[in-house]
Amino acid sequence: MEEIYSVFAQEAREQLTAMEDGLLRMEQGDQDAETLNAIFRAAHTIKGASGVVEIHHVEKFTHILENLLDKLRNGEMQVSSDMITALLQGCDHIGALLDRVDQGYMDEDPAVAAAGEATAATLRAFTGGAATAEQAGMVEASVGTVERAGGDTAISDCWHISIRFGRDVLRMGMEPLAFLRYLLNLGEIVHLTTLSDAMPLAEDMDPEACYLGFEITLRSHATKEQIENVFAFCRDECDLYILPPNSKVGDYLNLIEHLPEENMRLGEILVKSGAITQEELDQGLRRQKAAAKIAEATEQPTPQLGDILVDKKMVQPEIVEAAAARQKQVQEKKTAEARLIRVQADKLDQLIDLVGELVIAGASANLLAQKSGQGSLVEATSVLSRLVENIRDSALQLRMVQIGETFNRFNRVVRDTSRELGKDIDLVISGAETELDKSVVEKIGDPLMHLVRNAMDHGIEPAEVREAKGKPVKGRLELNAYHDSGSIVIEVVDDGGGLKADKIQAKAIEKGIIQPGQTLSEQEIVNLIFEAGFSTMEKVSNLSGRGVGMDVVKRNIQALRGTVDVKTEVDVGSRFIIRLPLTLAIIDGFLTSVGDASYVIPLDSVVECLALQDDATRGHMLNLRGEVLPFIRLREFFDVEGAPPQRENVVVISAGGQKAGIVVDQLLGEFQTVIKPLGNLFKHLRGIGGSTILGSGEVALILDVQALTQLAGQAEERRASPPQRIGAAMLSERE
Amino acid sequence: MSNLVKAQNGAVTAAKSTGGGDTHQYLTFTLGGEMFAVGILNVKEIIEYGNLTEIPMMPAFIRGVINLRGAVVPVVDLAARFGGKISAVQRRTCIVIVEVTQEDARHDIGIMVDAVSEVLEIPARDIEPPPAFGAKIRADFIAGMGKVDGKFVIILEIQRVLSVDEMALLANVNQASPSDPEAIAA
Amino acid sequence: MTEFATQTTTDGALHLILDGPMTIYNAGEIKEQLMSGLQTSSILEIDLSHVGEMDTAGFQLLVMAKRESMRRGHTLRIVAHSPAVREVIDFYNMDAFFGDPMVIPAEH
Repeated sequence: MEEIYSVFAQEAREQLTAMEDGLLRMEQGDQDAETLNAIFRAAHTIKGASGVVEIHHVEKFTHILENLLDKLRNGEMQVSSDMITALLQGCDHIGALLDRVDQGYMDEDPAVAAAGEATAATLRAFTGGAATAEQAGMVEASVGTVERAGGDTAISDCWHISIRFGRDVLRMGMEPLAFLRYLLNLGEIVHLTTLSDAMPLAEDMDPEACYLGFEITLRSHATKEQIENVFAFCRDECDLYILPPNSKVGDYLNLIEHLPEENMRLGEILVKSGAITQEELDQGLRRQKAAAKIAEATEQPTPQLGDILVDKKMVQPEIVEAAAARQKQVQEKKTAEARLIRVQADKLDQLIDLVGELVIAGASANLLAQKSGQGSLVEATSVLSRLVENIRDSALQLRMVQIGETFNRFNRVVRDTSRELGKDIDLVISGAETELDKSVVEKIGDPLMHLVRNAMDHGIEPAEVREAKGKPVKGRLELNAYHDSGSIVIEVVDDGGGLKADKIQAKAIEKGIIQPGQTLSEQEIVNLIFEAGFSTMEKVSNLSGRGVGMDVVKRNIQALRGTVDVKTEVDVGSRFIIRLPLTLAIIDGFLTSVGDASYVIPLDSVVECLALQDDATRGHMLNLRGEVLPFIRLREFFDVEGAPPQRENVVVISAGGQKAGIVVDQLLGEFQTVIKPLGNLFKHLRGIGGSTILGSGEVALILDVQALTQLAGQAEERRASPPQRIGAAMLSERE
Repeated sequence: MSNLVKAQNGAVTAAKSTGGGDTHQYLTFTLGGEMFAVGILNVKEIIEYGNLTEIPMMPAFIRGVINLRGAVVPVVDLAARFGGKISAVQRRTCIVIVEVTQEDARHDIGIMVDAVSEVLEIPARDIEPPPAFGAKIRADFIAGMGKVDGKFVIILEIQRVLSVDEMALLANVNQASPSDPEAIAA
Repeated sequence: MTEFATQTTTDGALHLILDGPMTIYNAGEIKEQLMSGLQTSSILEIDLSHVGEMDTAGFQLLVMAKRESMRRGHTLRIVAHSPAVREVIDFYNMDAFFGDPMVIPAEH
């Protein structure tokens, strides 16, 4: 696919998100002009951009939305809940159209088109009928005022006619007024601008020559031919351009190029051509003062305009303001664009790889410098190292994005789903600013979606049930994110009925997931919901409960080297806890060694370090100031060859709310580094979160302490449990 | 990097430039006293054995990972992969970096061999189909039997030998505790 | 044809009354009148209440006069419009350009 299309689709999606956000805000009662304008602007931008890239079906459809939004904006209609639903459907349809663009098709998918037609019809129903009468009324009411002068009407569903009469028209006995008036037989002249730019200074003006040109907006069902015929008599004596309704922006731009008024500032011409008037004009009016100032400022440095000086004053102040607003907007947009640069993700990856190598090379230079014992060299390399570290931090930061954007999408999901289910549910988001790697963000959407829908469908009870239980009628769904022990934790919390262990157990037996008579702890039973083919709802709804639920969620999260847990309490609610590694993130590690091998423990999971005292241990537990601390001896666990040193050390870690000890040979200290993924070959490997390259060039492994403690727990369980328990433990671990 | 690498790389380039037609070039190496070959196009470079980091909880044939100019590359013990014993590190042991393609993704994998011999041109007519048995290694690992100076060289089907999916699966089984028969079944 | 009458008002403005058509047929003549009016006074008031007919040429002359007056930093006011004049200015959507109050009759 050509890059322009993917850029278009991406930008259009951003606008779409803005629209959706705005619509949802509006629905919640935030109906100020600013919100409405933001929605309108987004729709307008999509329409314009789709016109430029010539994806006309997107343009056409967006136009329908825009029309309705325009009516709302002009106060001609009141917003209703149904209207917002329809507008949101419209957004969805645009999204579907963009999907196809992303797939590289420039045409419309017939199936999608059919669906879009229904949405379009709904949208049109809101605007329909009333449109022309209201439009006409508006023009009537505003004769001689701003709308008339600036052309503030829904222009794009009208014909646009540009005509420049030839000098000799009048002398030849033709009367422009007559032609133009004749247009009234074809339809309604919504707007007309008279241009006299071609007129020379008074002394040189030939009273019998015609200097006029006109920009006309005509609402008419006439054909192009009919309109052309109006000017048939003077056709050879004038320049005539006719743009049909819904012309693309490109055509308007083309028109501008052909218009003789080259001295006109771009803004004015755009206003005159009727392509993108409304927004500018509106802004112009709103920022009347600011715009007027800028108008002054922008007009002054154009002294070459000569006789157009007069002309400038001739142009209605409204147009100047609109043009100025437009110029200001262009400036604003330029600054915004200057602040944002789109970079391809793989270029970033490449940069980060290189920076990672730089860090490693820097570290080894540092080592050598220290060995050399030359003070100035040590100093120079340490300065260099610090700079390199700063570069690395900034480089890594480039890939980090806030999870807020992902969360915000759920406003819409919760709204739609709660309507569909007939439940009233509030979404509460916290930790939206929590950052994680872009690659993780991209992949977490689907599992989250499933959990959210599941919580709404199965978790939160219907209003009457809630009322009977004495709970607030309105359900509450939370999305939380925070950093913990070198991971990001995302929680989906509902205040619903919770998971009922007995029901789950019965179901699991029925589905043959466990055997009757198997003894399982409550938590183990609850975890059965992550098994393949499990669904507790009797009724299969179209939201969830297709039996491909939680196991897929779990698999997807595990594929990200994450974990998902559930904590639940009957009638209080459930909390799904997703824990994900910050792959590619800056990792502050604690370097340890066992034999010849080096292991990095994520620093934020490290609580403290101490020497292991044999007399304080018992089995795999040690006495930490009176507290029982289970520990993992890496040497044993990883089968490291060789005898342990006389004195071992314990790194006390905390992961997932549990404390544990990791016994290593040596503590080598804090260390900051880049995670190098181990690759597909090790995709099933648990307990190791990745690798990193040390200053010596040696590869060190990064421990995934969370998985490691789980793994150790399971190993112990396998050794200690009766055989039938093994089955259950294996099952809950099976991928 | 060692001199060995440079010498070998030189040989590779030299051999490449004289190739053509139905004759393909192969890098030959020895493993447990036997001669094997891989298509030269798969070979990226040859490095001295060393600086290997072992990965715990992995099957024996995955020797560990090395740092290849900033990339972490796994190293497979080819003899162990063929079901034999783990190779002992010898004076001429080296790692041949091979590129394999799987599901459109390219992976660099190092294979540990006892010694690299030379780059040979083997004409297609001198390559026999793999025997059904008798080669001591899985038949699907063999692309063909090349005749060189009256002796057979096993030309490896390196994409199969180094199938990342298969190896990852084996690794997974390994991690799920080899002492537990149920785990292996799962 | 068209008759021209001028008088100077108390505030020093030149009051120009046009009586008759303003069309292509007398455009040259009208231009001369307007130009001389512009020369004479920095404030020109034009009374068009007796203009029974106006075409595009006539209209253009008003535009010219207004522009020229603005260029010189003078003032030009159309103090009275005949229905014909009003209709043309209105159709061409140039009310704001001239900026003169128009008396809108009841039937409008």
